Amino acid sequence: MTVDTTTTEAPLEAAGTLADRLADVWIELEERLDRVPILRRLADGTVTIHDYERLLFNLRQQVVDGSPWISRAASNFDIDHFTLRAAAIKHAEEEHRDYLMLERDYVAIGGSLDELRRGRKNLGSEALSGYMFHYADRPNPVGLLGAMFIIEGLGAKRAAGWAARFQEVLGLADNQVHFMQYHQEADGAHTGDLEAILTSGIIDDAAADEIVRCAQVVARLYALQLEELDR
Amino acid sequence: MGTTATAYLTGFGSYLPGDPVDNDGIAARLGGDDPVTERIRRRVLDANGIRTRHYALDEQGEPTELNEELAVKALRAALDDRGIRAEDLRMLACATTMGDVLVPGFASMVHGRLGGGPMQLLSASGVCASSLAALDAAASKIRLGDHPRVAVVGSELASRSLRQRRFDGIRAGMDSHFLRWMLSDGAGAVVLEFQPHPTKPSLRLDWVRHVSLAHEHEVCMRAGMDGAEAVVGRTWQDVDLADAEAAGMFVIRQDVSMLDELADAGLKQFEELVDIGLVDVTHLDHVVCHYSTNVFRDLAFEGLRRRIPTLDTDRWYSNLETRGNTGSASIFIALEEAWRTGRFAPGETVLLAVPESGRFSFAFAHLTVVAPSGQHAAEPHGAPSDQQGASE
Repeated sequence: MTVDTTTTEAPLEAAGTLADRLADVWIELEERLDRVPILRRLADGTVTIHDYERLLFNLRQQVVDGSPWISRAASNFDIDHFTLRAAAIKHAEEEHRDYLMLERDYVAIGGSLDELRRGRKNLGSEALSGYMFHYADRPNPVGLLGAMFIIEGLGAKRAAGWAARFQEVLGLADNQVHFMQYHQEADGAHTGDLEAILTSGIIDDAAADEIVRCAQVVARLYALQLEELDR
Repeated sequence: MGTTATAYLTGFGSYLPGDPVDNDGIAARLGGDDPVTERIRRRVLDANGIRTRHYALDEQGEPTELNEELAVKALRAALDDRGIRAEDLRMLACATTMGDVLVPGFASMVHGRLGGGPMQLLSASGVCASSLAALDAAASKIRLGDHPRVAVVGSELASRSLRQRRFDGIRAGMDSHFLRWMLSDGAGAVVLEFQPHPTKPSLRLDWVRHVSLAHEHEVCMRAGMDGAEAVVGRTWQDVDLADAEAAGMFVIRQDVSMLDELADAGLKQFEELVDIGLVDVTHLDHVVCHYSTNVFRDLAFEGLRRRIPTLDTDRWYSNLETRGNTGSASIFIALEEAWRTGRFAPGETVLLAVPESGRFSFAFAHLTVVAPSGQHAAEPHGAPSDQQGASE
């Protein structure tokens, strides 16, 4: 790579490297998240304990699907994609108990475990989960690396900040925000793994296009999930 | 270190069984109407200043309720005051000097009668300060974020062991008469939560401090032992029950000669709170103090006024004279009445003080009145609670 940035006359269609293209998707997501009502209240300091309870309730209904869609994706990688299969299996194993942490947080702020477990997905979660399972059903669903980029990125870059802000505004104990706190470390490790794959040379141009497209869809649907709380 | 939540008192309840009993109505219930006992009773009542109290006894002195029933009624009142149900509680901490039965623990019996869902229990035994020990334990679980909602109750049904049948044929000196004409029945309860009450003011629990000086004091208040020292083979559980009864072991006694020492030790504990900065005398608005008799009210009031010259009787609260001395229930019964009658305004601070003669224990709690959460949704609740760190 050259250090001369003046010569990067990027093609209009697929501007820059995969990393650059994903960074653009991320920036657009952040701008959208800033307009999500509950996150705006969180930033303003007007968020209520009810908001936090509803956020956990809504997230839980989709989080329980996280490990299953990653597992399904793992089963659809053939032997030529062994590295991705191995990564997906490991990741699915690491994630499949996460929702229990969220459930304990929900109970610790006074929520009912029965009600939480009887809950249904909101409109955004339906769309997000449906899309993920659909995508994971494809042979060699490499594009899902884009989904990981968004979801793990939110965990690594945003969740702990949300946890700290909920604690600050609502006076919550660590024991009530485990799920969001934990994801800073866990997803930080996952995004490290993801970056290693993205830069390993196994991603060709067609795969890069799939990854970016999947990241765009997942970013939009994740925000939709946060916008459509309880709907 | 980790971040903790804050505990708020959001519901208050008390229960005092039956009608108030004035000084002339005591003998009908507790007996002791011979001239000598009558004279002693008058003397004790003059000193303690109690004018009315409640007994869970009918006019013939027969029990009307169990201690666990008193506890449950106070708890229900506190839950109603907060507008929640027993099902919403995750922990119940119960304090009493003596439950109705030897086994199981008092909290198990109270939970069984109260109902609700699965919850953590604590039975704090001891004497007057045990209710603040229970409060401390329950509040700690709130701060840790382990439980969002808990209830604490202090409950006493002393009257049944103050009746004449316990005293027949027993050498009973001032050590038993002092308590016999002082103690009575009742229960007080509070609900604690990790968030303030949404629409009414709450009391933020800033800290609880509980100190025992048993390492340097003999037993002051006792039952079940023969003399001031527990001796192997000679407690009520070791000797025949008839012998234990004949020896007066089932009479609750207090070594009244030690009470001045107790008052001094209590004031020293208060001084220490000021010295280490847990109590800022320039920002202490109310004192709710448990004491057994008005003699100690005057001692305690003067002692505190040495450090708080602006402390006047308006800011000093006790309902001993009308509700009696209900042991571990007293502090919550007093707090409930002070709260309900509107003595405290948002921003003001309250010190609860409970000396326990048993074997010299002292409990204090510091509270701050906070406005409903709805009014200050934008204000970080964690911000003003930096005093907590100092207490743990």
